[in-house]
Amino acid sequence: MSEVQQQESSDKGGKHKKVRAKKSSTHVDMTPMVDLAFLLLTFFIMTTTFSKPKTMDITMPVKDEVKDEDRTKVPASQTMSVILTADNKVIWYFGQEDPEKPPVTSMATFSQTGENSIHKILLEKNALVNNQVKAVEDSVKRGLIEDKEDVIKAHKAAVKNAEKKGLIVLIKPDETSKYNNLVDILDEMLICNVARYAIVDLSESEKELVKNTK
Amino acid sequence: MPKIKIAKKSPSLDMTPMVDLAFLLVTFFMLTTKFRPDEPVIVDQPSSVSQIPLPDKGVLMLTIDGKGRVFFNVEGQQIRRDILDRLGSHFNMTFDENEKKRFSVLSSIGMPMKDLKKYLNAESEERKILNAETKGIPIDSTNNELAIWVNSARKAAPRFSLAIKGDREADIPTIKRVISILQDNKANRFALITNLEGAPEAAK
Repeated sequence: MSEVQQQESSDKGGKHKKVRAKKSSTHVDMTPMVDLAFLLLTFFIMTTTFSKPKTMDITMPVKDEVKDEDRTKVPASQTMSVILTADNKVIWYFGQEDPEKPPVTSMATFSQTGENSIHKILLEKNALVNNQVKAVEDSVKRGLIEDKEDVIKAHKAAVKNAEKKGLIVLIKPDETSKYNNLVDILDEMLICNVARYAIVDLSESEKELVKNTK
Repeated sequence: MPKIKIAKKSPSLDMTPMVDLAFLLVTFFMLTTKFRPDEPVIVDQPSSVSQIPLPDKGVLMLTIDGKGRVFFNVEGQQIRRDILDRLGSHFNMTFDENEKKRFSVLSSIGMPMKDLKKYLNAESEERKILNAETKGIPIDSTNNELAIWVNSARKAAPRFSLAIKGDREADIPTIKRVISILQDNKANRFALITNLEGAPEAAK
């Protein structure tokens, strides 16, 4: 303290030059830092992946020997067999396959539009359930059902499972079909509100059928 | 004529807000990014309208590529070590500490047991060649190694869910075979990994 006071007094005397702090600019050149920041930014934007993969849950039956009387019996008129074959073609028919009496089969494609799209056929055949699902959507619009995603989902699931006369689809992927086809058809099950479906192996007579159709 | 004086302005402008923003974004991306480990196979997944996201943790993943090769992957170093121990005891092989460490940090593995040691001791460049040449984990009924992999993994991590990541072009017999192996292991629920696709209008 004493030193400072001494200096002050000497300033007053005016004999010594003023001691001035050098006025240097407070600005720092930030350009390199900004360059680096943007470089990192670009890098992380490029490497980041926002879209997470989605999954599709499937449940397969327990692989034990099931006695014949324990099997769930389903009416043949409700059962639609969908055989996936090479080149994204689909063969479908209604009812039970019978080696003696080959069923009336039709061909379909995986496209979303057109006369022969499997999507259209499934929607049409499952109209009973689809209309009920639509009714749920209508009630949402009219405010009868709460407009919350999980509430709507629960209602739809309830409607789908309650309808005993809904379509039952047996998915039969042929040896020559691709995994893509299987996922596509499982996807159609979801879109077309098919509540009951299963992945089944082809029987011998169906293999013959595929051969003959080609 | 009076001289026109141009006001002397510094050409540098204040970059502070921009820098702030840039760093904010850098921080955001640094924190949200998750580096994808070097996968030995590239798989083109089919797309679906399903919206269920894949859980971040606790997934046993079976990758099936377009050639029908099967790869196995699970996250978690401790679990991987445990799986390797179980595999070792099943096939009467012993792995040293170094090999265990390598195994615990690698990603998908698609090696037959007899080549696994070679694969673990290989350098990363060699490993790429091995991955390109491998036939995947054997799944045929005479040499069903995948069943043992799945079994060991289920024992090491009983709460993990199973996921199949298949390529669009993977053939159905292989997929069916893998599903059947899972069923044999009492794993009847599993997920198929797909990409998101918009739902068609007609369904709405």
